[in-house]
Amino acid sequence: MTAAPYNYSYIFKYIIIGDMGVGKSCLLHQFTEKKFMADCPHTIGVEFGTRIMEVGGQKVKLQIWDTAGQERFRAVTRSYYRGAAGALMVYDITRRSTYNHLSSWLTDARNLTNPNTVIILIGNKADLEAQRDVTYEEAKQFADENGLLFLEASAKTGENVEEAFLEAAKRIYQNIQDGSLDLNAAESGVQHKPSAPQGGRLNADSQAPKEGCSC
Amino acid sequence: MSDGEDSCTAATEGSTSPPGTPDMSLPVAMDTSTDVAPTRRARRRAESQPEIEETPKQQQQQQQQQEEKGEEPGQASSQSSQSSVAHTGWGYWGSWGKSILSTATATVATVGQGLTQVMEKAETSLGIPSPTELSAQLEEEHRQDVVMDGSNEADTADDLSAVGGAMGMLSSLSSVVQSTGKTVISGGLDALEFIGKKTMDVIAEGDPGFKKTKGLMSRNATLSQVLREAKEREQLQTTESDASEKKTVAHYGVMFDDFQGLSHLEALEILSRESEAKVRSVLTTLSGDELLQLRDELDFIKDSFALVEFDDEDVDEKKDEDGSEFEKEFMEAVEGLSVSATAHKLMTACRSACTNVSITNQRKEEEESERTTHSVEEVHAAAIRSLAELTARSIELFHKVAETTLFSGGCTEASVLSQLTVLLCKELSLLSKRFTSCLTAAGANEKADVLNPLITGVFLEASNSASYIQDAFLLLLPILQISHIKRNAEASQQ
Repeated sequence: MTAAPYNYSYIFKYIIIGDMGVGKSCLLHQFTEKKFMADCPHTIGVEFGTRIMEVGGQKVKLQIWDTAGQERFRAVTRSYYRGAAGALMVYDITRRSTYNHLSSWLTDARNLTNPNTVIILIGNKADLEAQRDVTYEEAKQFADENGLLFLEASAKTGENVEEAFLEAAKRIYQNIQDGSLDLNAAESGVQHKPSAPQGGRLNADSQAPKEGCSC
Repeated sequence: MSDGEDSCTAATEGSTSPPGTPDMSLPVAMDTSTDVAPTRRARRRAESQPEIEETPKQQQQQQQQQEEKGEEPGQASSQSSQSSVAHTGWGYWGSWGKSILSTATATVATVGQGLTQVMEKAETSLGIPSPTELSAQLEEEHRQDVVMDGSNEADTADDLSAVGGAMGMLSSLSSVVQSTGKTVISGGLDALEFIGKKTMDVIAEGDPGFKKTKGLMSRNATLSQVLREAKEREQLQTTESDASEKKTVAHYGVMFDDFQGLSHLEALEILSRESEAKVRSVLTTLSGDELLQLRDELDFIKDSFALVEFDDEDVDEKKDEDGSEFEKEFMEAVEGLSVSATAHKLMTACRSACTNVSITNQRKEEEESERTTHSVEEVHAAAIRSLAELTARSIELFHKVAETTLFSGGCTEASVLSQLTVLLCKELSLLSKRFTSCLTAAGANEKADVLNPLITGVFLEASNSASYIQDAFLLLLPILQISHIKRNAEASQQ
């Protein structure tokens, strides 16, 4: 039975962007299903995933828009940036070209979202240390210069995947708390559910795996 | 909700039923082949109107009779009650039911129109200048009349709603309409207020997602927003009812969201809005013959969108039991759309729905020998889940069609899309009929007030599902238009 209780106080819209083949869909799949998808088909346009996490003692539903990385989809996927509260900008640590393209992705992200959108840089495929093509320090410096959060992660092993989504959520939540993110703004990417009852109850139904939080 | 139920039980117990009231405890032999299928709200609007227009004539006759006799108001009103009561059988569902249930959205508007006509017709035929004067004039001589009408009417409406959600909604609607024509004339503006409120209540009670339909009519919010709101309300209600009772009710909105139907709809709306803006801005850059020609071309595309028409009379639940016929037609229709992955997902959803139906049917047969009761809630949940999944997949399909059309620059034929829409709506209609047959079978021993709301629920959600799919289809119009403009531009550059 999917009669889920009303068990979250906020909805955050996320987008995942970055070159083709960096593992965007695999990160999402690892995050929502806790599984590695070895032969992931190319994403067409956008696909979706959701998961409820606990952030600062509040249940937050992440509505994740996983965009296609292929250049030919770019015109269409740009339409989806608007209203994102968080953006995961992904590159592949074993392919320098994907790192080199980051400035173009960042420009899109900055231009098409609002100034409060939290952007986190993710170096994926951290499990392939032997084939590393981009150093941690280099990427960290790029992130710092551009005011981005930064993590290296592996969709395969699951390392830092949870953290990546959570770090961005924490920052967004912090922005809400200190008032820098205006929830009433049309494109904040955050929906507040003030009428939600405590939100502490989890339903023992088929949704449970999806809703499993870090607690 | 609980208010309405309380008051109607009270009324049933406390009042004597008008003559001719059918025994409420009998679930009235249900004709499962009756036609309550999802249809397009807007299109049915025209159809349901004549039926409502019947009402003013009846009311006028009654009123005139009454004027002539100047007496027996009670009798007149009990006639009115009788006629509405006679319409409460499931058999009558076929005509009234179809138009009202399937047009739950449109009904508010239609009933409103009907009333205006009642007012106007009554005024012209009786030569009465205004409702206010009318009520003042008639107040004296009909004071008693009004009082009696009022009580009778309340009895009728309440008795009827006791039958259960479905019947309650339909019959109280019709009885409200019927009796109100009269009350409007004798009672003036109060009655208008009454019917407005009553109609809203009646509809809101029967349609848990009423908020969204109301929202849709005003068109102030986007569809996905409206749906989200409706879903949130449902979730709230679940939490509330969870606290009081343990019973689990399947929530269409929640499931629709779980299948990412809302997200795909939101994304489709974004693409549609942006394309619409682009089309407009292109039009502003053109002038003279160029503008005229493009307008013509765009209108041509628009016209092919208006042609969607599907007749649920054709839907025969006995046909295509395993869904293979639908599968064949569907795969043919999507062949040229390059959305095979999504089409495959939809097919899977459809197969699992068909499997669900046959499983529920099988269990029913076993049950006859083993006497293990199969819960109606389970069948209902399976039905709602299947409808939600198939609808979500349909929206996803249209979203993918929009994306591929935009980036490929290919020509997507509107006729193919409208054919798809019809196909999907038919399949939903078919599914809802099969599931309600299962429900009827599974709930043979249930009381009508348990079974009927569940059946209504399935029909309502099937009807809503069809509306969402048709709305999603319409969202594709600007996308096809802008893609046409792009192709034109490319052709002229070469």
